[in-house]
Amino acid sequence: MWLQVRLSEVCLFLQAMFTLACCFSDMESGPIATSGSVQPNGDRFKIEGRAIVPGVKTQDWISSARVTVEGEEYIGFLRTDGSFVVNDVPSGSYVVEVISPGYKFEAVRVDITSKGKMRARLVNFIKTSEVIRQPYPLQLRSSGPHTYFMKRETWGWTDFLMNPMVMMMVLPLLIIVLLPKVVNTNDPEMRKEMEQSMNMLNPNPELPDVSEFMTKLFSGSKSSSSKAGQDEGNRMDEDEDEGTEVFTKRKLESNWDRYKESEKDGPSDDTPTQRGTDYHVLLESAGKEYMTCSFEMA
Amino acid sequence: IEPSAIMYKSTSLFVIFLSLFVVSEAVFEDQVGKFDWRQQYVGKTLFAHFDSHSQTSKKLFLATDKNIFASFNSRTGDLFWRHVDKAGPEGAIDILLLHGQDALMVVGDGRLLRSWDTNMGGLNWEAVLDTGSFQAACFVAIQDTVKHLAVLKNAAISLHYLTNGHQKWVENLPDRDTVQYQAVYSGGEEEIYVLGVVPNSHLTIIAYSLEDGEIIKQRSVEAPWLSSVESSCVVVGQGMLMCVDPGTLALYTLPIQAEETPQFSQTLLQSLDLEVSPGFQPVLVSSQPHPARSPISEFFLQLGPHHHVLLQLNGDGYTIAPLRDFQPAFLVSFATTGEKTVAAVMTPKNETACAINLFSADSGRRLLDTTVIFPLDLNGGKPHKLYVHAFLKKDDSVGYRVLVQTQDHALTFIQQPGTHTDTGTYTQTLEQLFGHNDHRYVWRKKGEACKPKNTIPTVKHGGGSIMLWGCFLFGIDSKSGSILWKHYLENVQPNAVFKLIVQRTTAHFPHPPQCTLLIKDKDTGLASLHVFNPIFGRKSHIALPVLPRPILQSLLLPVIDQDYAKVLLLVDDQYKVTAFPSTKNVLQQLQEMASSIFFYLVRSDQGNLSGFRLRKDLSTERIWEVVLPTDVQKIVAVNGKRPNEHVHSQGRVMGDRSVLYKYLNPNLLAVVTESTDTHPERAFVGMFLVDGVTGRIIHEAVQRKARGPVHFVHSENWVVVSSSCCSCSSCSSCSCCSSSNSSCCSCCSRSNSSCCSRSNSSCCSRSNSSCCSRSNSSCCSRSNSMGLPSGAILSLPKMFLDPRRPEVVTEHSREENLIPYAPEMPIRTEWFINYNQTVLRVKGIYTAPSGLESTCLVVAYGLDIYQTRVYPSKQFDVLKDDYDYVLISSVLFALFFATMISKRLAQVKLLNRAWR
Repeated sequence: MWLQVRLSEVCLFLQAMFTLACCFSDMESGPIATSGSVQPNGDRFKIEGRAIVPGVKTQDWISSARVTVEGEEYIGFLRTDGSFVVNDVPSGSYVVEVISPGYKFEAVRVDITSKGKMRARLVNFIKTSEVIRQPYPLQLRSSGPHTYFMKRETWGWTDFLMNPMVMMMVLPLLIIVLLPKVVNTNDPEMRKEMEQSMNMLNPNPELPDVSEFMTKLFSGSKSSSSKAGQDEGNRMDEDEDEGTEVFTKRKLESNWDRYKESEKDGPSDDTPTQRGTDYHVLLESAGKEYMTCSFEMA
Repeated sequence: IEPSAIMYKSTSLFVIFLSLFVVSEAVFEDQVGKFDWRQQYVGKTLFAHFDSHSQTSKKLFLATDKNIFASFNSRTGDLFWRHVDKAGPEGAIDILLLHGQDALMVVGDGRLLRSWDTNMGGLNWEAVLDTGSFQAACFVAIQDTVKHLAVLKNAAISLHYLTNGHQKWVENLPDRDTVQYQAVYSGGEEEIYVLGVVPNSHLTIIAYSLEDGEIIKQRSVEAPWLSSVESSCVVVGQGMLMCVDPGTLALYTLPIQAEETPQFSQTLLQSLDLEVSPGFQPVLVSSQPHPARSPISEFFLQLGPHHHVLLQLNGDGYTIAPLRDFQPAFLVSFATTGEKTVAAVMTPKNETACAINLFSADSGRRLLDTTVIFPLDLNGGKPHKLYVHAFLKKDDSVGYRVLVQTQDHALTFIQQPGTHTDTGTYTQTLEQLFGHNDHRYVWRKKGEACKPKNTIPTVKHGGGSIMLWGCFLFGIDSKSGSILWKHYLENVQPNAVFKLIVQRTTAHFPHPPQCTLLIKDKDTGLASLHVFNPIFGRKSHIALPVLPRPILQSLLLPVIDQDYAKVLLLVDDQYKVTAFPSTKNVLQQLQEMASSIFFYLVRSDQGNLSGFRLRKDLSTERIWEVVLPTDVQKIVAVNGKRPNEHVHSQGRVMGDRSVLYKYLNPNLLAVVTESTDTHPERAFVGMFLVDGVTGRIIHEAVQRKARGPVHFVHSENWVVVSSSCCSCSSCSSCSCCSSSNSSCCSCCSRSNSSCCSRSNSSCCSRSNSSCCSRSNSSCCSRSNSMGLPSGAILSLPKMFLDPRRPEVVTEHSREENLIPYAPEMPIRTEWFINYNQTVLRVKGIYTAPSGLESTCLVVAYGLDIYQTRVYPSKQFDVLKDDYDYVLISSVLFALFFATMISKRLAQVKLLNRAWR
């Protein structure tokens, strides 16, 4: 904040210095006397100048252009060579503009003293007393055609590709497609490394899976959860068997009959019997399975 | 932290401003001419000349009462170029003379002499003339070459070179206090004759030497019957002055160059078997084909409105012989080509057409195969003037082209059949194409007399119609600008003021839409109503109320009668109210509502603003009065709000989470005053906000060192006043005043004080008129349209005029989307909604909401008419113009086929797997 204030102060000071300097320079030179600008009828003067559009023939633009002094207070027209005279202007300070629908011209302020001395300077609407001298008779050079139109947004490949959304979609896709090609999956060392990295990703293997937790929560009963575990274990076994084979459509056969007997004598035994392999081992193997599966799919 | 805050923090202010506004205001290059049209007019033709420089030239030069010098393509009516001078008497064109490629013009009652290069449309030179009011001008030739121009003023005569405009000599005229010098004549000799008259006493002839301006001889001739040389005399034959006297019904001839002091020789019209229509001032028409030679000895004498006689002055210089009598004949004109001089005569053929024929001037015989039919438009007025251009055809016969000016100031160009076979396509934007039969083409150009003063788009977006009117009432297609219908309004005084009111729109089928035109005579104050259907222009046959007393105010109420027409109240000078339509139903509704109907009257000459309330018996009572002393300031304009204005959001969330409520008083009047003191240091523009019901002055503001013309827009809770500043007189300062009741949300106490904020900005240009964009339910941001003197229409987003713009950008202001205050308003050419289609001398801009919320229709009128659409908040409710249908549909098709193919492939794969 302090810096801002300081800066603005400095700016103000500089501006003041500048205007002062301008004033002094103004006093030195004063308005130039132009002979022959006094007109027969009293205190009326004429503003002279020339407008140039570089690279364009005068006949192509002068017929639609005109010179206005103070809005439409006084109007002059352009001669065939681009020069102009605005007659019958009393003393005062005026903004002279060349108005053409095709080409841009800078406005110039012209001051005429009561004795007919003239000077031209840049237009500044804020600091009207500021003087930056311009040549007189006026030399107005067009800075090019007007820009009336906005450019349409065009559709380009680069715009499309550089779009962050597209980048977000394309880059992971590339990784999925290209990574297996780059990394040799048959190399056992590599496999091991990747396994490790997968474990790193899942830092705490002890932590139960969220979905697992949810099913536990909703099913509520202990037995059903163990059943689910068994079921999963069985299925995993099956998967492991089929793993090396080509996939075919899975037939769903009910194997509930197998458990009918054990179900009967289950409640008599209070201690839960362990069926199938250890849960953590299963989880680990499942992770492995998943990896292989995904690579094969890719 | 609120999510919005985070968003705004991350986004720079200028990015928002750029993306939201700069793009939205501009026109895309491919939209050129898609939603906009422009019609250019020139005004009532005063002088017209054909370009006789070359046979095949298509140029036509006009000088008009709107101070415009224009060049047209005579075949199509297209404008080649036009030069618009300063409006008013200072730029008035006194005379237009054509010599070869140069057009000479005296401007501003003899102030300036200009020479134009007609080929390029640029100025050759401009010379300042001595003071004195312009009387006449003529070319002066020596030995068959035209080198000089003589300009006669009331006190002096001067001779100028045609090549550079320099003055050869200037001489003061003798006895200029008593003698009115009115004409100058040169017949190719070494002398210039100046004719002056002392009314009803004598005629003065002064011969000046061409070389040095010395008076060679000076004579005066007794002419007690003569009052004006200009209106009753012409030069005929070898320097014979021919005058007609309506008093004695006689023709007088006098040789101008005679050495001795001659007398007028009198020829009674009776002796020629001619009779003047009673009450008609006879008019003489003669022709001088070339300034180096004397005028032809044949001349026309108009004896009645439709009666012309071709007469010939015999070689002896005294006897006059009638050649042919034309009765009836509307108009006559001479034209010369080579050595042949012909007379064109327009005669009525039937109700709807006139015939133009050529006659040989020296014999009065009709030339064969020269008949041209001119179709008369019953609504357009009678033919007024005839301009003929004759030329020699290959077989040495005379062909001609005619330009007919009708009373509605339209010009019709008629080409004789068979002479020109170029029947290419021409644009119909400027003129109505009448007929196109047998290689004859006719175009019409609307004059400016039918100047648009008021416009109302009646139908929404698309093919609607706009009405513009002056002495004629027009229906214009808002899509193309073509004239759908027109009506001539009878008994309309030239200084009448008009108001156009839409009583019923097209929404109430089967009731036709209804517009009412209130015409008020400015002198007597008496008003009349003209009710019509705006779509087809048919006059309705509704019983109109009798308005015997001057009308002071009109008021359109939202009350509708059983026919869905809104009720119009007219207040007369005894403060009695007339309702239109005044059915029983309406009167009953009015009685119920009377206590809530208020109106105001402004007397700017007394500085008096008063409010009235309606009583049940349709009389009124004054309830408040505001007097603004006239010795300090005068009321320039009073503007209420649009009755049907919607305001979408009544409050605005500020940066500190409080809500700024807008002060949305529908009865608020904005009164703008100008100081009577015009000294630049003491001049000011004042603005008052007055409640129309209670008369309470809610806010007042003064803009110091400012002067008119003041234009202002009053909408929602803000007023934008544009005036020109005295010290930097070219900039117009806009002060935007928005009043709002601010109340803090967090605080329980409601502060009820209304606060007004105001800011000034200077624009680099002065505005001619301004208007703000409107939309159906005001969901869009507003933008102000301003007509600039350069001919551009600037669409300035309201954001740039927001009075709450901070000088130092803070977190809060950034959050509110306020741009920092800049004392100088930028004018970007991208904001010019009419790109390079300049609309000069804009008198007003009318905006209307369209059927689409994002779109607002804009009509700018003045010298030209321009219509376009603006989208202040971009086109959010329509597809973009450049919407790529091909890309979208091709992608859709590609996706469709891809799914088909992949489905097939998947099937094959499944099958293969099943077989494995």
